[in-house]
Amino acid sequence: MPGARLEGVAASEGVAVGPAFVHAPDELEPQRTGIAEGEVEAELERFRGAIEAVVAQISEARDALSESGSEEAEILDAHVEFAGDPELHSEVEERVRNLESPEAAVLAVGEEFAGLFAGMEDEYMAARADDVRDVTSQIAAQLMGLRSSGLAGLAVPSVVLARNLAPSETARMPREMVLGLVTAEGSKTSHVSIMARSMGIPAVVGVGAEALERALGAGIVAVHGDDGYVVTDPDADEVAFFEGEQAEAATERAALEAYRHVEARTHGGRRIEVAANLGSPKEAADALSWGAEGVGLFRTEFLFMERDELPTEEEQYGVYREVAEAFGEKPVIIRTIDVGGDKDLPGVSGHEEENPFLGWRGIRMSLDVPDLFRPQLRAILRAAAHGNLKVMFPMVSSVEEFVEARCLLAECREELEREGAETGPVEAGVMVETPAAALCADELAREVDFFSIGTNDLTQYALAVDRGNEKLEKLYRADHPAVLKLIEMTCRAAEKAGIQTGVCGEAAGDPALAPKLVALGVTELSMSPPAIPRAKKIISELP
Amino acid sequence: MVEREVVVVPEAGLHARPAKEIVKIARSYKSDVTVARNGREANARSLMKLMALGAKKGDSVLVRATGEDEEAAVEALVGLISSEED
Repeated sequence: MPGARLEGVAASEGVAVGPAFVHAPDELEPQRTGIAEGEVEAELERFRGAIEAVVAQISEARDALSESGSEEAEILDAHVEFAGDPELHSEVEERVRNLESPEAAVLAVGEEFAGLFAGMEDEYMAARADDVRDVTSQIAAQLMGLRSSGLAGLAVPSVVLARNLAPSETARMPREMVLGLVTAEGSKTSHVSIMARSMGIPAVVGVGAEALERALGAGIVAVHGDDGYVVTDPDADEVAFFEGEQAEAATERAALEAYRHVEARTHGGRRIEVAANLGSPKEAADALSWGAEGVGLFRTEFLFMERDELPTEEEQYGVYREVAEAFGEKPVIIRTIDVGGDKDLPGVSGHEEENPFLGWRGIRMSLDVPDLFRPQLRAILRAAAHGNLKVMFPMVSSVEEFVEARCLLAECREELEREGAETGPVEAGVMVETPAAALCADELAREVDFFSIGTNDLTQYALAVDRGNEKLEKLYRADHPAVLKLIEMTCRAAEKAGIQTGVCGEAAGDPALAPKLVALGVTELSMSPPAIPRAKKIISELP
Repeated sequence: MVEREVVVVPEAGLHARPAKEIVKIARSYKSDVTVARNGREANARSLMKLMALGAKKGDSVLVRATGEDEEAAVEALVGLISSEED
């Protein structure tokens, strides 16, 4: 008899088959609710110890997450803050002084605080109630000597079934023991889905409480994270199907493996460089291991956001030098800051804009605010002494803008030379992302050292289609003839001038689009690192 | 005691990052600092209580401080609550 099928949300891709592990944490029921008068001081001491231990545990889980500033890390940061909350402490301490046990007190206060959030209309705020409960339960569990959540003790690789998983639970899950995840609650954007994707665990969420209830007795569970369904106790045919899907994915991975570190060439012998888009120097080692032949786009916005003061030249120099050294002789293209005027930058007067995508951003802002631009250019010039750096200006819509930026670059170089600072050669290019830049490619090509086409913005500007608007999803097409014509114009102009044209938008890593881009004359494709081996394979199969 | 009424400017209201910022600043002063909305008062050093006020952009809140550096504390918090944050 074939197994039961549960439909859910495809939350994290991949396929897994394995023994079911039901994660149903016990309700935290304190054995002891009252204490004796003489025990108060000792219990308060125990409470403070538990807080310290929980803060340390959460911080450890947070540090284990590779990306700082990621959504998961932010959640755990807030948890650390919650665990150390002075109001939580004082209310629990008061209850303990009134002879309540600290474990009972922390659960009660947690419930009270959670209640403040749960009643809110705002969905985001209401969801914070779970964060409060997650933290206070951890403190209570610590006080009751129940350290492991059950998942930590998982000894056999299994598919985990749960009503829901708290961030603290997912963060501390033994990765190699969890083949897949199935939860009753949740959506594509809930904590558990975000965590599963960042850990590469296939997951189906939101199957519903009733469906999950029926699945709890299953011995074997198969999870299809791409198509969003689960099969409990699959029969032989179904197991074979899932294993087939798994094998297919494995074969594809193995086939791509061979291309990881090759230099991609078409059959005709055209060499196409495959590079990585990076958002911080921490990603460099990973990109190199995927076979990146350089960095086609190094975003610098992370240096400027979420801080009180602009980064100094010295700090920027350190970052650019780090990425330059990681890539050695391989070229690294640094894009100067590209934020809209609607974002608040320290020291730059921000303002609301009617239409930030057509507003004061990219090179327009940089040229207007020398205090922002000059330190960045100086840092790049200095870091260039330690590798193969190039600079690229975003949002250029006229030749004059590029010329002005290049003059500033030259001024900075002279300044540095007068100061006796060490610098290196830096080619300067433009990011072709406004239709104006593509239409003026002939004139631009006489001035610049290279082009890099930002297909994401070029598409949205050429088609007048906001790429964030769900209703327009069908209209947003990087392979629209109008976009392809703009790309072609850029390539022709570059060929005439004898310079290179790269593509650093999402189209570069798209298996369907890459062949078209190569056919139009693009010489470099830059993408997110995991897409590199597939792109190299595709290029190698082109005529 | 010093108190001042102020309208919440950050897009996110007193949630997430703006709230964390307030807690950080409040802890750097010696005075007791509170933020109140609709008669409910929260210790500005407590992220939970502060977020639980549910103050949104455009809401009016009352910042109050008592202690030796009360003037500076209110000044700092009012500045934070009434300035843009992305």
